[in-house]
Amino acid sequence: MASLSFKNVKKVYDGGVVAVHDFNLEIADKEFIVLVGPSGCGKSTTLRMVAGLESISGGELYIGDKLVNDVAPKDRDIAMVFQNYALYPHMTVYNNMAFAIKLRKVPRDEVDRRVREAAKILGITEYLQRKPKALSGGQRQRVAIGRAIVRDPKVFLLDEPLSNLDAKLRAQTRTEISKLHQRLGTTFIYVTHDQVEAMTLGDRIVIMKDGYVQQVGTPIEVFHFPYNIFVAGFIGTPQMNFFDAKLIKETSKLSKNGSEYYVELLGKKIKLNDKLQEVYSKKNISEMPVTLGIRAENIEIVPQGTPSSIDTTVDVSEMLGNEVHVHVTINDKDVAIRLPALDAEAESISYKPGDKISLLLTNKALHLFDKESEVNLYYK
Amino acid sequence: MTGENKFFKYLKIGIGFFVALLFLMPIFILVMDSFKNQKGILTDVLGWPNPFIFDNYPKAIEKMNFFNSLWNSVWITVVSTGLIVLFASMAAWVLVRYKTKMSKFMFILFSVALLIPFQCVMLPLMSVMGSREVMSFTLGEYTISLNGLNILNPGGLVFAYIGFGSSMAIMLYHGFIKSVPEELEEAAMIDGCSMFKTFWKIVFPLLSPITTTVAILQIMWIWNDYLLPSLVLKNQSWYTLPLQTSKFFSTFTSSWDVATAALILTMLPVIIFYIVAQKKIIKGVVDGAIK
Repeated sequence: MASLSFKNVKKVYDGGVVAVHDFNLEIADKEFIVLVGPSGCGKSTTLRMVAGLESISGGELYIGDKLVNDVAPKDRDIAMVFQNYALYPHMTVYNNMAFAIKLRKVPRDEVDRRVREAAKILGITEYLQRKPKALSGGQRQRVAIGRAIVRDPKVFLLDEPLSNLDAKLRAQTRTEISKLHQRLGTTFIYVTHDQVEAMTLGDRIVIMKDGYVQQVGTPIEVFHFPYNIFVAGFIGTPQMNFFDAKLIKETSKLSKNGSEYYVELLGKKIKLNDKLQEVYSKKNISEMPVTLGIRAENIEIVPQGTPSSIDTTVDVSEMLGNEVHVHVTINDKDVAIRLPALDAEAESISYKPGDKISLLLTNKALHLFDKESEVNLYYK
Repeated sequence: MTGENKFFKYLKIGIGFFVALLFLMPIFILVMDSFKNQKGILTDVLGWPNPFIFDNYPKAIEKMNFFNSLWNSVWITVVSTGLIVLFASMAAWVLVRYKTKMSKFMFILFSVALLIPFQCVMLPLMSVMGSREVMSFTLGEYTISLNGLNILNPGGLVFAYIGFGSSMAIMLYHGFIKSVPEELEEAAMIDGCSMFKTFWKIVFPLLSPITTTVAILQIMWIWNDYLLPSLVLKNQSWYTLPLQTSKFFSTFTSSWDVATAALILTMLPVIIFYIVAQKKIIKGVVDGAIK
């Protein structure tokens, strides 16, 4: 168990390609941190620097109080679960799990006890004498996790451990990893490109792009207060809808702040909610062109003719069982609307392509981003 | 099964049988002749032994100093093959995993070395291996001095085999190691292995299919080799089995009766080795192919 501290950690490859720029992060003991981002964003490189598999080009990395920049992987007291499991094919499951602690000269009966205990936790006791070849993908994944558990490391590193599993098994194993974290009480660093995994597993999420950290925050923070357009678009399914709009500030004697903020979209004015009014007033944000972001679930379909509504036609309607995704085109952009379909009456909300509908953007959760810097005005 | 299919089936069996016969015929003649006396061989090479005699074998064993030569052949083959496997696997691993200009150059060097025929380097090599003097060569304005190694003995032979055998072994290992996932080695490093342990505990066991292939090729070549031992081994007590067979042929006479028995005795150990290890060898080759 240990905390981790990244201080301006940097990775530059031989050709001068910078994979990770000034990475700063404090990870608390027992925290579950998820690094998430698209391919090539530097998340795996960061994890591999923690493991000691990649050298650190600049900055300092501490595990506990110890500077580990130049410490060999075997002396860092970490365990890693690889994407392709990396089980030793010539060893039985038992030996795969026992390998690391045998190398550390742990007494034989202690090795046996620890392997059997980990096998019991993961439900793989009956496979202990098999070779990895004779296991299914899910079972191999458990062995890989078991191999890490047996080590009892200070830090658990997981590099996209679920990406080779089918959807059902992935959801199941995700829950198990979460339980495992609670049970072991160890620091976890988890890399994934799947934002659902990130949201469900992480105490905090680190969102990366092109080697830069975009935002660090709890799942609630990154979902409801995304730092910039990239984060807003990356977190949440379907993707957040974006529109070109304008922020309008009007003086109002009725308002306690002395002014009121509106956002103007396609000629319709939407008043911002109280929270944003307060924040923007405090920061004294002036009128400006903005990118308006709104999630699919915050758009309502209303009867035609409702004030401030936008008329459009349905392109596609996707029935997912518990919800319906309706896609329309506004200003040449695809806009998704998510409607709950909680019971059999859901049939009444199934739309056909070409159906005329009116949309109302609720002001419950509007996100306004600076057009130039793409940063959320909330953080300005 | 239709008539035509049946015809092709029998045709295939027939051709297979014929080819097998073609390959086995010389060995069959050899076995037959080893039970004939000199007169029998000269009058009827292909016929059944008449009289049927066993004398040739004890004579050959005695004349070729069989057990001593067998021991020489065995240890030279085993030690050379073992060392080639050892050095080539380690070298190939490093050449695959550490990509530098130097490693690429080294690999090209090994590949090119395969193209140089042994006969080209045979004589200069022998003078370097055989001499104890310092030899000087003048190349334009440069003078190159070489210390003679003075190793014309079984140890020197093993040394030469490692040199000649490594190139191909490294090429084979190089190709195979590329298919071993690097993640396994990373996992081993995290688990607590040093570089040396990573190789021996994780990488080398995974190379067993190609190790089998390399070992078979080297054993066949070294066991049957005549030319190199004939140049290097000066003392009769160091002779390997193939060298001993030369004793039966002189300028004016050839004692075919004892020679055939000696040839059988020379072949026998490798044939026995193949029969015993056959399952493993075939498995090794197949595993290597479908990895």
